[in-house]
Amino acid sequence: MTHRLTRRTFLETTAGGAAVLGFPLPLRAQPKTFKIGAIHPVTGALAEPGQACRLGAKMAVDAINAAGGVKGKGGIKLELLLGDTQTKPENGRVEAERVVTRGAQMLLGSFDSGSTNAMVSVAQQRRVPFLIDIAAADPITANVAQSVKAGQQKVQYVYRNFPTGSSFGRKAVQYFIEIFKEANVSPKRVVLMYCNDLFGQNQAHGFQAAHKTANPSWDIVEVIPWPEPPTDLSTEVSKAKAAKPDIIAPITRPASALLLFPEIRKQRIEMMGIVGPGSPGIYESGQIVQLKEDLEYVLTSVPWANFKNPKTATAAEEFRRRSGGKTFDTNSGYSYDAVFVIADILERATALDDPDAIVDAMKKTNYSSGLMQYGGPVAFNELGDNANAIPTMIQILSQKPVAVWPKEAALQKFVFPRPRA
Amino acid sequence: MDLTLVLQGVVSGLLFGGVYSLMAVGLTLIFGVMRVVNFAHGDMMVWGMYLAYVLATRAGIDPYASFLVCAAALFALGFVVQRGLVDRIVDAPHEMQILLMLGVALVLENVALVAFGPEPTRVRSPLASATLWLGPVFVDVARLVTFLVAVALTTALWAFLFRTDLGRTIRAAADNTYGALVVGTDVRRVYAVAFGVGAACVGAAGALVSPILPFQPPTGLSLSVASFNIVIIGGMGSLLGAFVGGLLVSLAESLGAVFLKPSLKELFSFSLLIVILLIRPAGLFGRRSA
Repeated sequence: MTHRLTRRTFLETTAGGAAVLGFPLPLRAQPKTFKIGAIHPVTGALAEPGQACRLGAKMAVDAINAAGGVKGKGGIKLELLLGDTQTKPENGRVEAERVVTRGAQMLLGSFDSGSTNAMVSVAQQRRVPFLIDIAAADPITANVAQSVKAGQQKVQYVYRNFPTGSSFGRKAVQYFIEIFKEANVSPKRVVLMYCNDLFGQNQAHGFQAAHKTANPSWDIVEVIPWPEPPTDLSTEVSKAKAAKPDIIAPITRPASALLLFPEIRKQRIEMMGIVGPGSPGIYESGQIVQLKEDLEYVLTSVPWANFKNPKTATAAEEFRRRSGGKTFDTNSGYSYDAVFVIADILERATALDDPDAIVDAMKKTNYSSGLMQYGGPVAFNELGDNANAIPTMIQILSQKPVAVWPKEAALQKFVFPRPRA
Repeated sequence: MDLTLVLQGVVSGLLFGGVYSLMAVGLTLIFGVMRVVNFAHGDMMVWGMYLAYVLATRAGIDPYASFLVCAAALFALGFVVQRGLVDRIVDAPHEMQILLMLGVALVLENVALVAFGPEPTRVRSPLASATLWLGPVFVDVARLVTFLVAVALTTALWAFLFRTDLGRTIRAAADNTYGALVVGTDVRRVYAVAFGVGAACVGAAGALVSPILPFQPPTGLSLSVASFNIVIIGGMGSLLGAFVGGLLVSLAESLGAVFLKPSLKELFSFSLLIVILLIRPAGLFGRRSA
């Protein structure tokens, strides 16, 4: 049998050969990577926490890749496609679209609830599993879960490993009650002050709702929201003072915290202390350097790293080195854990090129090697939230944030009521 | 309503108004002379703040002493920006001017981000933690000083414009550019000086508020918006208008926070803008353009 070289076979062969030679890269064995679109506010008003999140995620990717990648999937390496929301909520969507178009197979992000919410529609429309590393507003996952339940959407692609606003509220009220009892004091008047953005509103409403349910012996006598970012908080603090508070409960952002705490000191409000229901602005190393004694003895209920775990100390040391001396905290820690949770999901997923297979693995997550303080393993409930993501009450003592409550997480005993100046 | 709280609101509002006034004076001067809206105004103020920060942290100079150095540095920046960039588009349509100034704002913001990082910052000054008590009402000494310096600087600027030859030349070039050219005025130089003086005002304002107002690179935009609001209320191009406008806006925000929810206080200042535009479209002290 002879092969006759026809014009057609010649063209097929040469065209095929030219394609191989001309475009060699896609056909050769490449180092395999699984692309994760990691979107955070690395510029703009929330740049500090956003950059901490990005570095946390990078550290985790480096650690996973150095240890051989996702071993169950042929050692596939993780690759971050980085995105920046510039602290503009609408950019969450724009950046998510961009990284997905560039090949992101999962999404990670994005610190503030506004931009995270904007990313959700991209995840759902383009079927890209999305693990929220930080963002507290309840509706982000609840709305998707509801529309899936109502049959408007088939699959929920959005999951969150972070406390929700309502769980923040419940835990904060619980910790308030426990700490007051432990300190053997009975404050009566609490003034709630908060930044009036999506995050602040959600936190404040969660705290108020939890207070109503728990019905403790103390009342929220005044609620003072301010526009974020504020230029002046003197009148707000005067208003708080006029309410004769035993406790001021602030929900801040880094910039507003720099205005609020000095103002509270300047106006000499006599009270037992400042106890926050949970917000950034109080524990970051840059904030402590700026606010110094104004932050001393301030308590706040925030998601915190479990420093009783030796691995946390190692990661914190690496973070300190790579960030130029910053603390491994809520932001870096939760982004770090999120990447490890993703790696765990990928290990268990039946196929990496099928988003629904990844979602199936996500739903069955039961991960217990996180560095943050959890109430149990990372697992997602019917809303897509991890109910075991809980905050810890920390206090600034000797200019350092220290876990002080609950007892199992505490590294030191809290100081409350704060000593009189 | 607690009377002390209202009194406190008035005092705090008026004192913080000094800051707003100083911000707006520089903007109104630049607009009055060149008819160019400086969208980089807030970012120039942020650079004034960062200069004060560098002088305080590296050389130990208190911002209440270094504000003149910051003003001089910002004068140089304003002069260069005018000569190098604005001068080319002084006669161009407004949209081109806006695009250019927004570009300058972006560059200033992002250079600050690279140079100083994203963290919000505040300059520490002993004066910033001092307070006076008038009965139950407290007076923030830093704000009082800022208010007094703002009054002094605005008066000095007024004296410069109305009592010196260079000031008269600037006003002449603003009133009738062609006429000024005819009598041999170097209008390009006059414009550069006016832009420099406007930037110097906001540089001084930045240094003076650096101990009381936390800042980070993106702060400029909100400062620009606040300045525009004040300048429009006071009347574009009017020095007195900018000063009174600053006090009015701050007072409106402060009393808004007392009587309503503080989160609605900006509603007060922008409602004031709408009301004044309806009653006096050229602003409180503005002249109707021909």
